[in-house]
Amino acid sequence: MEQLMVNILIATGFLAGMGLLLSALLVIAEKSILNFGPCTIDINNSEKILKVKGGGSLLSILARESIFIPSACGGRGSCAYCKVIVKNGGGPVSPVEEPYLSDEERKRNTRLSCQVKVRNDISIEIPREYFSVRKYRGKLISKRPLTHDIFELRIELLEPREITFTAGQYIQLKSKEYKGRESVIRAYSMSSVPSDKNHVELIIRRVPDGICTTWIFDYLEEGQNVGLSGPYGEFKLQPTDSPILFIAGGSGMAPIWSMLRDMREKGIKRKAHYFFGALTQKDLFFLDELRQLERELPDFKFIPSLSREPENSNWTGERGIITDVVKKYIPDTSGYEAYLCGSPGMIDACIKALTSTGMPVEKIYYDKFA
Amino acid sequence: MKKIPQQKELKDLLGPSKFSGDGYLGTDPRIPESIIEEDRHIIEQSGFTKEQLTESLKDALKKAVDALGDPVDILPGVTAVHYESRGKIPSPYRGDGLFQKGEVVIFDSKSGKKIIVTPLGINLIEKHNFFQGRGSRYRIEPEDIIVIFNLQK
Repeated sequence: MEQLMVNILIATGFLAGMGLLLSALLVIAEKSILNFGPCTIDINNSEKILKVKGGGSLLSILARESIFIPSACGGRGSCAYCKVIVKNGGGPVSPVEEPYLSDEERKRNTRLSCQVKVRNDISIEIPREYFSVRKYRGKLISKRPLTHDIFELRIELLEPREITFTAGQYIQLKSKEYKGRESVIRAYSMSSVPSDKNHVELIIRRVPDGICTTWIFDYLEEGQNVGLSGPYGEFKLQPTDSPILFIAGGSGMAPIWSMLRDMREKGIKRKAHYFFGALTQKDLFFLDELRQLERELPDFKFIPSLSREPENSNWTGERGIITDVVKKYIPDTSGYEAYLCGSPGMIDACIKALTSTGMPVEKIYYDKFA
Repeated sequence: MKKIPQQKELKDLLGPSKFSGDGYLGTDPRIPESIIEEDRHIIEQSGFTKEQLTESLKDALKKAVDALGDPVDILPGVTAVHYESRGKIPSPYRGDGLFQKGEVVIFDSKSGKKIIVTPLGINLIEKHNFFQGRGSRYRIEPEDIIVIFNLQK
């Protein structure tokens, strides 16, 4: 019996020892065999050259170098936000990436940066705006309802204290864990004016069952710290003299509200119409502020339209869907530029309506992350 | 009974994630394979095909999305409203790609039945025969589709 116990102990010890030995071998192998050594990341035809230690994903290595590519899934290859162009050195497209890449994107060598491993020198192209993206820590100083399902947040930046952006751009806000739900990252357009560098304002609509908006509406309180990164996006006013059509609905107000106030501050006097679509009067907000802008901007007109307002209400403004109202006011849009912000369905309908009244499609600008 | 690895994996895929806070299984105690199999049996018994059911959902979704948030009549007493949401959501089944967020709420005043249809939800039915677990906000009972859209043999 005693001998049996000794044998069991010896066998257990032997197995444990072998396990430790194998683990040590794996660690050594990872360090020697998988050590890809120093690699070079050439960005935008040598506009920036990074000397990095190879082995990690392009997304994570760029983040270590303070270049933040948008991402919502934390590098799991499921959100497809982290697309970049890899000109060479990225290896073959992985099966994880395939469903997220269109034929057009494949031709342009677009890749998911979270799935590209940096194992040798690599050349990539990213929007120049990403160089100025920073991570921020801020404090929510105001949270106020604008309608029954839209809130405005005002965040004071603590570290770094200032953000430089162009009206129309967006940030990525990081939610905190609550009720067993994971921390997530979601994109929201900034509604603040670029001159207010110490604050970020957002206009956010509640998404039924949405992880991030439920956190914002039900858990986030004034005084709490928040994490965000930005600015992102190429949706911005073009430097031309063309008359402008702004078209938005719901929280799509955010980037337009930023652009309009930026125009006022900079003394931009371009002719502009702002068509805002809503269901009923309870879905409208910033009416007084926009009427004030009409008085301050010499050639600016705000036209809200309601599609489900009761016939017998006191509403004296436009009624009907926004695309019909745009056609009524501007039957020929050929000389205009359009800036759209809303649901993809609304954007598609607007593009159809605008091109049918003469607007070249390349003069229509809208949020790319929608 | 001990679960085979594939079952565990599918259950994990359909559970809560960074993109679906509550996951796709709701409070349903059944494993995904059982949910799929039982729904398949229900459809078979009804005499309709999965394709007929998804066509009705797709048609209603398109009409509602085109109405830009206005309620739209699908049939007498059946109304659909699209609630927009920006951004896209990946399918829990890797490889299916991304789907536009937003949902269409369809209400049948005659039967009192309500279903919530999303582009991802339609894909899950169409490609994986998965109507989601009971207790999930987006679960659609196959019989409800037949009743709401008044499908005739």
